Amino acid sequence: MYEYEGEDVFIIDSHLHLWDATEENIVHEGGEQFIQCFYDYHTAFTPEERQWSLEEYRKYGADRMKQDLFGNGAVDMGIFQPTYLTDFYDEGFNTTEQNAELAEEYPERFVLNGTFDPRDGEEGLEYLEELNDKYDLQGVKLYTAEWRGDSKGWRLDSEESFKFLEKCAELGIRNIHPHKGPTIRPLNRDAFDVADVDDAATSFPELNFVVEHVGLPRLDDFCWIAAQEPNVYGGLAVAAPMAVHRPRKFGEIMDELLFWLGEDRLLFGSDYALWNPDWLVDVVMNAELTDEQRDEYGVELDLETKKKIMGENAAELYDIDIEEKKREFQSDAITAEFGLEDHYGTSTAPADD
Amino acid sequence: MSTDSLDGGGDDGAVTERQVRDRLDRVTDPELDTSIVELEYIDEIGIDDGEIHVAFTLPTAWCSPAFAWMMATDARDEVEALPGVTRATVELREHMHDAEINRGVNERLSFGAAFPDADGDVAPVRAELDEKARLARQHDATGALLDAGLDGKQIVTVVHDDIEFDDDQARVWVRDGALAVSVDADPLERYLEKARATGLVDDDHPELFRTPEGDPIDPESFELVRHRTRSAGVNMSGQGSVCDALHEARRAADRPPLSSRSD
Repeated sequence: MYEYEGEDVFIIDSHLHLWDATEENIVHEGGEQFIQCFYDYHTAFTPEERQWSLEEYRKYGADRMKQDLFGNGAVDMGIFQPTYLTDFYDEGFNTTEQNAELAEEYPERFVLNGTFDPRDGEEGLEYLEELNDKYDLQGVKLYTAEWRGDSKGWRLDSEESFKFLEKCAELGIRNIHPHKGPTIRPLNRDAFDVADVDDAATSFPELNFVVEHVGLPRLDDFCWIAAQEPNVYGGLAVAAPMAVHRPRKFGEIMDELLFWLGEDRLLFGSDYALWNPDWLVDVVMNAELTDEQRDEYGVELDLETKKKIMGENAAELYDIDIEEKKREFQSDAITAEFGLEDHYGTSTAPADD
Repeated sequence: MSTDSLDGGGDDGAVTERQVRDRLDRVTDPELDTSIVELEYIDEIGIDDGEIHVAFTLPTAWCSPAFAWMMATDARDEVEALPGVTRATVELREHMHDAEINRGVNERLSFGAAFPDADGDVAPVRAELDEKARLARQHDATGALLDAGLDGKQIVTVVHDDIEFDDDQARVWVRDGALAVSVDADPLERYLEKARATGLVDDDHPELFRTPEGDPIDPESFELVRHRTRSAGVNMSGQGSVCDALHEARRAADRPPLSSRSD
């Protein structure tokens, strides 16, 4: 567990992938473009001494991932967000089944999200049910800009999509994570438009919509929608690494988010393996607003706010009892493997007991 | 005295690199609303009498082809507007679609002809980006007026005829001409340029400043609109930071070679 100024901070990394972008798995030029673009993001925002080579970045495997997340106690739990891209990758880029390799071995440490694609129709509904039967899903990650045949994407507010959202509500899959983020060639820009979240969020008040990457480069549209829809949340993956080289810019973005959404609707995510949470958690925990930024919007990015963003808000959405988890992690397999007893042992015992 | 020399041309009336660069400075990265010269996208300017060649590189090879297209066509048109220029050719380098874009721009094709697979034209994308830029510029312009002592109620009533430009200063009249404040002309001029580009200011609706939806601003919601226009600017500069970081990563001396598949 991460410690900051003598206080424990429970970290839930809400955006993880176990991906395979090896050349053998790539079936379309888009697959190669996709991983290369990710790699540029990786090197652009990772401190130089922590950068990976492209080859290890293509496929790192479950052991490496486990080490990177938990090895030094930076992350307590993680949420898998699949990205199928089956038109680009033979076995998919990062499917629920691939992620399940780790999630099933360490169910206490991971939340496994599924996905759906309304273009799959009846078959897609059946697949969603199967995934739910098998993994008891609490959430789905959606890639509205995914290529499929001639189609370059779909909308969350379409009639077909609503059938799937209805199914989610019926199955108790409450957390919907649409990817609305940076333009990634060759995906269509318009499919990342955040406007379609608005109608979906209004129509399904019982569901939570966690907009991944806070809509960057449509942060303003996202904030305006989220200000009016109480069930819209922001996932900080991609925004968070700005705290490394662009701390002032990161502060400005947090200013906007805290002003429009407040501190209860923001979730930290590393987007692993785009970035490693071990250094990223550190950077975000140490980020500060300037006096000018704090005054202009009247918001704070203090320790209490950060605790919510780094774990408590995700715990709320995914019904995670943090205190119970801390007790459980005193002796679970990950703690034993990485010698994390100190992280969970001493801090939970009352000082004067 | 020829127009060329007025415009800073060489003694022999030939076009200079400085002139070309000044014209290119008017071309913006539409997503960032910042000059492509300031962003250091320009690699080379070649001058052969009236024939000008401009080479540029964007922060990533995967930059939206629509944005790249806008910059390339704008660069061509700006340079060709220079007196003494007979033809401008543009060369976008190391982009996923440099071949299509260079051919399309230099052969003066439409976007649709250059990209037969495109879902639509670039016009709506440009309009949307112009609107974002308009909002960010409105934030700067209304900020300048607030700093000069006007309040929100006065600012929402300002119409085009209330402004007089005098070199680098602007005088803005309020309360039926009874009071004028003086401000730096730049933020107002920059705002007006985008307000015109988005078709917002006309005789029927003369109010200069608008909501993000394009309506005149209710005095009660002036503060809210200020916050929304700030968001537009933060979004733009946030995206600028991402592009900037990618730009640096791409040009880093020790960047590992990326494998290239040809299928």
